[in-house]
Amino acid sequence: MIKVENIDKIYGKFKAVDNVSFHIGKGEIVGLLGPNGAGKTTIMKILTGYHYPTHGTAILNGYSIYDDLLKVKESTGYLPEMAPLYDDLTVMEYLDFMADIRKVPKSRKKAEIDRVIQETGLAPVINRSIGKLSKGYRQRTGLAQAIIHSPDILILDEPTTGLDPNQIIEIRKLICDIGKEKTVILSTHILQEVEAVCNRVLILNHGKIVAEGSPEQIRDQVQKDDRFTIEVAGTVDVQSLKALEPVTEILSAESKDGKTIIKISAQKGTDAGALIFDWAVKNGCRLSALIPEQTSLEDIFRKLTNQTEV
Amino acid sequence: MNIKGLIKKELKAYFNSPMAYLVVLFFVLTLNIFFFFFGQFFGRDTASMRSYFSIMPVLFILILPAISMRSWAEERKLKTDMLLFTLPLSEFEIVMGKFISAVILLILMIVLTFPVPIMLNMFGSFERGQIIGEYIGTFLLGLAGLSVGQFISSRTSNQISAYIFSVVALLFITFIGQITMVINVPKFIDNLFSYLSLSTHFESFEKGIFDTRDFSFFAIITCLFIYLNVKVIKLNK
Repeated sequence: MIKVENIDKIYGKFKAVDNVSFHIGKGEIVGLLGPNGAGKTTIMKILTGYHYPTHGTAILNGYSIYDDLLKVKESTGYLPEMAPLYDDLTVMEYLDFMADIRKVPKSRKKAEIDRVIQETGLAPVINRSIGKLSKGYRQRTGLAQAIIHSPDILILDEPTTGLDPNQIIEIRKLICDIGKEKTVILSTHILQEVEAVCNRVLILNHGKIVAEGSPEQIRDQVQKDDRFTIEVAGTVDVQSLKALEPVTEILSAESKDGKTIIKISAQKGTDAGALIFDWAVKNGCRLSALIPEQTSLEDIFRKLTNQTEV
Repeated sequence: MNIKGLIKKELKAYFNSPMAYLVVLFFVLTLNIFFFFFGQFFGRDTASMRSYFSIMPVLFILILPAISMRSWAEERKLKTDMLLFTLPLSEFEIVMGKFISAVILLILMIVLTFPVPIMLNMFGSFERGQIIGEYIGTFLLGLAGLSVGQFISSRTSNQISAYIFSVVALLFITFIGQITMVINVPKFIDNLFSYLSLSTHFESFEKGIFDTRDFSFFAIITCLFIYLNVKVIKLNK
């Protein structure tokens, strides 16, 4: 559906996107993740035909952004960052305008407008002027225009900013539903969003892709060890714990309120949890907790985006 | 061309805010106040509307930028240009859509001045051909002014600066021919300046002379600035 090959975008002396390539198939929801200024929005602007890349090419739905830009534009729906809208129009006038420009046939126009109003929950505000809407309704209006022509490709730049938790869940559900048949690219810096919605993530930093894959795969790539936290009553002989085969390092050990809390790093994929349990039984330690720790996506994100910091 | 939707939206945006009404009102009022009150139309007792139209170039310098200032600057301010340029419309269609909607407003303004010549016609024998010529000239002058104003608006991201720059630009190209009255320049520069001046070309329409050279001059200016607008938008991609 989307094929991006070696694209660069240079603004003056600043390289916003640096040799990025990726493929996205039908029915995929892909998250672009990265700190501010990593190039997420620039990539989206290239895919929607707002900018041309300095080098490289992109093909969407079989159409090249150079040769068939109008076709590319027809097959995509785009929600730009902060949902820019015409403040002087009412929601209804705006959706009507978008349906016209997006070439929704006259006979289906009313039905399609009703559909997006229903899907995005805009019914209470359709006759209000956009300038007077709350942030949440603005965002939803922006989303409504992006899906009014049922595009094959949906490009959403931070779709859930400014929404309250209930709305976020609704919108995510809507995105998931759309993603079953269509292709969705969304950018975000909310990491739970990626885990909740995306099949695949591209992590960007300084215009480059620094990691790619499903959230699990990325976690696997970045996390080099298994980690455990144990809580033992009384004091323990930390040395004997360290002597265990899979344990590579005792990260910390501290005593508090008659308990010792130890953080352990062990070799990956070596059933270290069971061995730690056996160790506790053998040494007569009362184990009150044995917690395997998963590196959160936050940690991974921080690690990946700090590594490449200049 | 799929620009009907865009024109509809532009017109709605004009008329959903008080701006368009104010501009039209200001235009019609000022024109008539100058004509009847300061121009002493009845006192002069001449069956000519020439002084009605001779104010046009000056009035347009103030009015046209008020119509054109928002067309692009507002898109930039609201960042809606981000979406506009990703819609299935070519740059030319977008520029034309905006231009045509401004022209519709111009036509409306001009039509609202029709009652004056129609009513005055009852008081004496006016030269009809002259008045028609004057209207054609007014329309062409408006087209040229709007294309310049929209080009400037597309280079700015705020309506006020779009307005001020457009007023200055229109002032300059309207009266460039008159500069030579103040400063001494060689003959050919004098000729060049007066050829480039909008008011020179408007003058023949004002007299009721329909000269294809003046017609094509306005057409060239209009097309040139529409072309430049499209070109600059494409270059900035």
